[in-house]
Amino acid sequence: MSLSVLLVKILEFMFVAGWAGSVIVLLLTGYEDVGTLLDRKDENSH
Amino acid sequence: MSSTSNAPTGNNRVRIVVATSVMLTFISYWRAAAVILNDLGSSAFYAGGIAEQAIGKSAPWFVLGVMLFAFAVRAVYVESCSMFVRGGVYRVVKEALGGTLAKLSVSALMFDYILTGPVSGVSAGQYIAGLINDTIAIADAHGWVPAAIHRIFHGTPQVGENATAVVFAVAVTLYFWWQNIKGIEESSEKALWVMQITTVMVVMLLGWSFFTLLKVGGHLPPFPTLANIHYTDESLGFWKHSKLPHMFGILGLIIGFGHSVLAMSGEESLAQVYRELAHPKLKNLKRTAIVIGVYSFVFTGLVSLLAVMLIPDNVRMKVYSDNLIAGLAMNMVGPQVLRLAFRAFVVVVGFLILSGAVNTAIVGSNGVLNRVSEDGVLADWFRRPHKRYGTTYRIINLIVGLQLFTIIVSWGNIYTLGEAYAFGVVWSFVFKTISMLVLRYRYKGVRNWKVPPNLHLFGVEIPIGLASVGMVLLSTAIVNLFTKSVATVSGLIFSIVFFAIFTFSEKVNRRKHAHSLAQMKEQFQLQQAESVERETVGIRAGNVLIPVRDYNTLNHLKWVLDRTNPREQDVVVMSARISQYGTAAYGLSTEQVFSEYEQTLFTRAVSVAESFGKKISLLVVPARDPWSAIAQTAHNLESSAVVAGVSSKMTTAEQAFNLGSAWEAIPEPKRQFLLQIVAPNGNVDTFRIGPHTPTMKNEDVVLLHRLWLKITREPGLENVHHHDILTEALTRFEKDYGAHEREGICEELRLRADADPMPIRRIADQIQTVQPGPNRPDRDDGYRSDGPPTPDGDSSE
Repeated sequence: MSLSVLLVKILEFMFVAGWAGSVIVLLLTGYEDVGTLLDRKDENSH
Repeated sequence: MSSTSNAPTGNNRVRIVVATSVMLTFISYWRAAAVILNDLGSSAFYAGGIAEQAIGKSAPWFVLGVMLFAFAVRAVYVESCSMFVRGGVYRVVKEALGGTLAKLSVSALMFDYILTGPVSGVSAGQYIAGLINDTIAIADAHGWVPAAIHRIFHGTPQVGENATAVVFAVAVTLYFWWQNIKGIEESSEKALWVMQITTVMVVMLLGWSFFTLLKVGGHLPPFPTLANIHYTDESLGFWKHSKLPHMFGILGLIIGFGHSVLAMSGEESLAQVYRELAHPKLKNLKRTAIVIGVYSFVFTGLVSLLAVMLIPDNVRMKVYSDNLIAGLAMNMVGPQVLRLAFRAFVVVVGFLILSGAVNTAIVGSNGVLNRVSEDGVLADWFRRPHKRYGTTYRIINLIVGLQLFTIIVSWGNIYTLGEAYAFGVVWSFVFKTISMLVLRYRYKGVRNWKVPPNLHLFGVEIPIGLASVGMVLLSTAIVNLFTKSVATVSGLIFSIVFFAIFTFSEKVNRRKHAHSLAQMKEQFQLQQAESVERETVGIRAGNVLIPVRDYNTLNHLKWVLDRTNPREQDVVVMSARISQYGTAAYGLSTEQVFSEYEQTLFTRAVSVAESFGKKISLLVVPARDPWSAIAQTAHNLESSAVVAGVSSKMTTAEQAFNLGSAWEAIPEPKRQFLLQIVAPNGNVDTFRIGPHTPTMKNEDVVLLHRLWLKITREPGLENVHHHDILTEALTRFEKDYGAHEREGICEELRLRADADPMPIRRIADQIQTVQPGPNRPDRDDGYRSDGPPTPDGDSSE
């Protein structure tokens, strides 16, 4: 396996693993965001 | 006089209080979102077209992917802001990785900021040129273009789209260059207004597009598989002769993602507006992040998707690649004239938001360079203020010079500009996220929120979420280095040149600053204070506040010193150090706020005070807006008067109106004070700031008295006072104004105003004009009575 192929494999792994983790980030922060949006008691809209 | 006043201390040094917190007016999360979306939302006008030119028809899926991923990047910014109030790239990278990498990351950020201007200006120009050409073509199709014109142009007259875009971009950049030289103030109000109009356009665009889809149908773009990604030589850059991009499916996804990443440029603004967000800050930051996330996903993401679904393949990239939204407008169902009118509306909105982004680019770059120069990594020469306007004109000239150079070299090619732009965007994110990862282990201070999920193994925290975002960004940035040859070459040259300038300047400055610091320490004693309080400055209530900016115009200081008795009243000389968006996002040290310029300014002020044999207190306040700084400082110090010089940019009435507006923004309870503006010839205009007893005309007093005489003759009303009648009249007036008589009242007031014209509508009412008198004392104690109000009375009444 050439060096460039190895580099591409590493980059592909980083991208896929990164996206998998980012989807979890999106789900968790999205859940939290719903709570933030529903909690309007201290909202200041001036 | 308090013992803690400015007077030379025991070792003959003059004490100066240096406030290190920028005086800001806080804004709601809606306004904050509008400020960010003016930058972030503008990419919807060009991102989809650039991505499709690079990777083909499946590009909208990548743009949608980028907009989705932007939510995760936003989480990184929320965490950094929960640690540092000024959590921008420079601060975070410097904290985590040290000064060298911070300089490198700022160089990448500067590349991003500087290119925002040309990309936005050229894109707006392309929309305008496209509209002109299509309008002429339609007119020609109807036979409305005379044959003589046809002969001159050898066919339908058309403007060169790239040349028009260049001319327009240069004109807009020069316009905002001049505005920034003059020091225009940033306004969240304006940003909100632009976003309201943009929202109207987005709603119409989406509604009409979905209606068109229902009527004529449409196909989703091909899914992003290796077979559906179509590279060009330009989109593969250094890999155009390599087999690698055609061998690996996932690599194709990274290449496509890298060509679409510019759609999320503008995220850095989130860190920059955080300081100005109203309480509760973190919650409002999250709300801002949600608003901008959803808005940009819908606007940029869906517009790219709908463009591929509705604009026919044969014209989409050929005609509308540089003005995709205009193409969308022209391919809806409905009469042609209506579609053309909507396209004109799209162009107007594009002009507003993209021109705003040109200004944001100049303001942001100026802010970041100001910030790093305050840190000693850019020569002081750049920071020398403009003689007339006090702005850092050399930095602005440098930025605008680079932007004009970029516009002309690119010759209106939005694709080239957009490709280069992505370099700065992605690398500044990479530096930021890696730094945040490092800080998970190195930073021990308060951290109110963390990017989830975080795994705990054997007492060690593993930041899975943060690392995931970092991996996506880093892999994309590395692949971009190979596939975006123009961006890599131009970005690297730019970053290396800026990095070299920063490093060289830092070395020169270190030597120079050591010398000037020693000199300054001999003369001044700096006392750092987080906020401005009367006790910190060591003065009594009822003092006179004198804002100074230019050491050549200190007439108003002389005027005050000529008229005040230091035993009765303290005099505070204040310099507002203006920090723009970028600067406000970072922490300021005492030395940053109190620069060589302030040293010269205060040396002059002290020598003026010494020539009168009087003491003054000295204060430096960092601020976003000078008016807010003056109003808040006068309020905090319980000043009875603010005495200013005449502005070169506005009338005294406008100065008073600006200060009055800033005073209105201060939360209750607040104190009123007088504003006196001293002209070089000695004329003084005096205004009251805040609500106060209005100056009554004699005939109004007579009318009031006549009414009082009549009313007190009524049974049971013998004890009514004049003020009771005024209260009743005003209460009735308020009721009428709030009800059906509002228009009539306004009309009558307009007639009255026309008959008795005043310069402007003002929050501060002018109460009198003091003419220059003979220079002699006219009070028993030797002080002139036409000066600022004393703590016990108001000399101007």
